Amino acid sequence: MSADGKPQFIQPPNHVKDKVSVTSNGIDFDTLEKAEQLIAGMQDSYLEWVDEDLRKLQALEAQLDGAGPRLQVFKDIYSISHDVKGQGGSFDYPLMTVIGNHLCRYIERLGDVEPSDKNVGVVKVHISALRLVIAQRMSGDGGKMGDNLIRGLEAAINKTTAAK
Amino acid sequence: MIGFEGRRLNVLIVEDNINFRRLLRTILTSIHVHDVMESEDGESALDLLRTYPADLVLLDWKMEPMDGLAFMHRLRQGPDSPNPTVPVIMVSGYTDAALIAQARDVGVNEFLAKPISAKSLMTRVIAVIDSPRPFVKSGRYYGPDRRRKQVPLKESERRNRS
Repeated sequence: MSADGKPQFIQPPNHVKDKVSVTSNGIDFDTLEKAEQLIAGMQDSYLEWVDEDLRKLQALEAQLDGAGPRLQVFKDIYSISHDVKGQGGSFDYPLMTVIGNHLCRYIERLGDVEPSDKNVGVVKVHISALRLVIAQRMSGDGGKMGDNLIRGLEAAINKTTAAK
Repeated sequence: MIGFEGRRLNVLIVEDNINFRRLLRTILTSIHVHDVMESEDGESALDLLRTYPADLVLLDWKMEPMDGLAFMHRLRQGPDSPNPTVPVIMVSGYTDAALIAQARDVGVNEFLAKPISAKSLMTRVIAVIDSPRPFVKSGRYYGPDRRRKQVPLKESERRNRS
């Protein structure tokens, strides 16, 4: 802020503009198509990465069956699900994004309260759904099966919410 | 015709997830951006910026030990900041309006929600290049002008600058 209290406006040097040429239409279709092809070419790698995330989720899920505290386990599940949510859609697995999002929102709503058996049940159903999508290679919207899967998860959440 | 030619661009990716770093790098490669450096958190990114002349930073939010917000604060306002005006695109799965407003208030230029596509990333990159906003120093804020449309304010809408 300047001495008289007014906001100061500064025009930073625009090095980027000097280094890049963008046509008036921005990105042309060829460039975009090439980029999408490169991403599509990463789908096998994605399936390996997500498989690793699913294995981590499965290990955490197993911890929920023990007698130990569950809150930290839920936080760890949240963290991995958040990564799953952020990646699925990029690799033509939007169902992974939708289910991951459902799971994250559900855990967020629970706050810092020790999870109940019902909460554990809902989380497990979501993790199973994530595994199913990858096992069945349900890319795209997953068709009718994908539709049923999402409806089932929403019903599971509604059931525990209504039971409160 | 090439719509975008970024061969001379230096881009820093600050992201703790290695798979997401790979995805970003792949998209950048497709628009001929090959000079790309990577950091896993804000602290190491600040160190890297002391020697790497980044033209653009792609920044994740949740990282440890230093997250994206803390990085932005040090980048824009820190007395030892290596590059206080470098354009930053925050790429995050945290998309609540309040969180996006927080990102804006620490001086992020553009926000991009995960999952990303080649098109969505390119659109943000072009927005940063084609529509640069002046920086504003006002109160505790230092960063790109948060008003995107330059419209004259009515007298009754003028901010109290006292």
